[in-house]
Formats: sequence, structure tokens, C-alpha cells
Amino acid sequence: MGGAAVALDYDAELMLRVKEGDSASFGVLLEKHRLPVVHFLYRMVQNRAVAEELAQEVFLRVYRSRATYEPAAKFTTWLFRIATHLALNSLRDGKNERSQERLDDDSSAMPARQVSDARPSIEETLVSQARRDEVRRAIAALPEKQRAAVLMHKYQEMEYTQIARVLSCSESAVKSLLFRAYESLRARLAHMA
Amino acid sequence: MKCPRETQESAEVLLAYGACKLDAESTAALEKHMAVCPTCRESARGLRAAWEALDAFEAPPVSPDFDRRLYRRIEREVSWWDLLLRPFRWFPVRQGLPIAAAAGVMVFAGVMLYRPAVPPAPQQDAAQAQVDALRPEQVEDALDDMEMLREFSHLMRPDAGEAKKM
Repeated sequence: MGGAAVALDYDAELMLRVKEGDSASFGVLLEKHRLPVVHFLYRMVQNRAVAEELAQEVFLRVYRSRATYEPAAKFTTWLFRIATHLALNSLRDGKNERSQERLDDDSSAMPARQVSDARPSIEETLVSQARRDEVRRAIAALPEKQRAAVLMHKYQEMEYTQIARVLSCSESAVKSLLFRAYESLRARLAHMA
Repeated sequence: MKCPRETQESAEVLLAYGACKLDAESTAALEKHMAVCPTCRESARGLRAAWEALDAFEAPPVSPDFDRRLYRRIEREVSWWDLLLRPFRWFPVRQGLPIAAAAGVMVFAGVMLYRPAVPPAPQQDAAQAQVDALRPEQVEDALDDMEMLREFSHLMRPDAGEAKKM
């Protein structure tokens, strides 16, 4: 890792422990990153089953790479690079061609946790569902790389530098990607404000 | 404040404003500018609206058996590896190493000690033996034949006589 003294993040330390044979540390990493990875993949491919399958592959690759792991970058950068790579491949292979058909199914599978406390009326639930579907369609309409950049920026709250590393491009390219993506989303979603 | 759309950092400033991540000082400056610049106002407010609209996109919870499935896959991979190594397992490493080393030494010694009784004659020697076996009369006859053939072919060439006349 160059001459600069870069403090290892905790996740990288855990991964180094996994490398030394401590499988409990892998469990800690899985517990910590399972949800963000699955959610990122779900928003990318918009299919719950495919997203979970890809997330399994992500963690399987992390486990397989334990012997050769070197903390050259932030652990989450590495993790999301694997996840993004798999998601983009999956989208290109058309593995989730039926994702759009399954949107309604997935919506019905959504938990009611965000609205359950207020006991919304049927009308409110339908409005909420319609908004969610509109956002999903707007995100699905973005080019794949823009989509990945927006999801990492919005939901994972990643910095431009980290997104750039995940997508293997420059920071200015990320800003440009994000600006174009948000401009497209603005055109589609501004009326929802 | 200069219009952000005329500068290099326009995307960054407007994005940061849209994502509510612009510091207070820059926000105040941008909002002051937005009051007189309808293009920036529309862009910044639109980006903010899009940013907030994205909150509606909730992801479903992860399946309860996610970890179990993952660990089963990991286990399966490990068992495949075991299966590949199984044929070599019967040979305990601690006992096997000296035996393998001894076998190696024996093979090496065998190769070094093996000397064939009659080494194969090189090809050059065989050719020399053929020349030595010829009798002088045979050689003389062969040379006479070659001379006769040479003269015969010289006479048979039609331009040979012409050339002599000239």
C-alpha cells in the first residue's frame, strides 16, 4: 500500500483475520455488509431473487479470495467493486430480463414496516406503492453505470473518490455521471416533490 | 457568486446542494444566486426533489435463510476441495515424505549407475567402416566408369562440336 501510512479500516482488519483462518471474522463481515450489499444489488437488478443470488456470489468471492487478500483499498470499495461487477454482468447477460414483470410481485413482498405504525389507508398504501414504482422505473431507465453511481451515492453515501474506485474511473467522470443521472431523474421525478 | 453553470465545479455544487451536503456558507451563497438565476434555481430544486424522491425506493428485507444458504455453498466448495484431495489422503504426509525421498534417491542412483555394456557406435564410425571395407580395384573401376560417362555426355551435346569448329 505505497509509502503513505494508511490506517487499515476495521473491515480490512477483519478480512486479514479471515485470511489467517478466523472464520468468525467472516461472520462479522457478513453481518455488517449483508444488508447494504443485497439492497444495492436489489436496486441495481430490481429483482429480489437475483439480487440475493448475486449477493451470495459476492460473499462467496470474498471468502474465496481470503488467501490472496491484500488491503490495497477500503474493504467496502473492494466489496462494492465485486458487487457492481456482478450486477453489471448480470444485467448484460439479461439474467433478470423478467425483473420488470416481477416488479409487482416484489412490491407485494415489501414489508409494511415503513407504513405499518401509522396504519395507512388503502389509498395511502396505493399512492406510496405508485411512488415507489415510479422511482424504480426512473432508476431502471438510467444507463447501468449511472445507476450504479447514483445508488452508491444516494443509498450507500459513498464519496466521489470511493465511487470512482469502485467504477474504475476518475473522480471528475463520477461527478459527470452523477450529474447526468440526477438530471435524468429530475426530469422524471421532479413532480413528486 | 458566479453562476455555477458557467464554472467547472457546477455539477459538484448543484449535486451537493441537491443532496443537502453543501456546507452552510456555500448554501447561502448559492441560494442568494438562485434568487436571481432561474436556471440554477430550477436545476438545484429539481435535483433536490429527485434526491428526496429516491427515498421512496425501499428495498425488501433479506431472506432469513440467506446466511444458511451461503454457508452451505461455502461448505460445498470446501467439500469439493476435500474430494479432490481425498485420493492423496491415504498416504500420510509424515510417513510419506521419507518414503518418497528414499524412492527418489534410489531412482537417481539407478540412473547414475546404469552403464550399457556396449555403447552404441556413432553414425560417423559406421560410414568410415564402409569406406575401409572397399577394395582398390573397385574404386578404380568406378572412377573409369565415371570418366567414360563424362566423355559420352560431352560428345552427345550438339553445340559441343560447333564450338570446337569455331
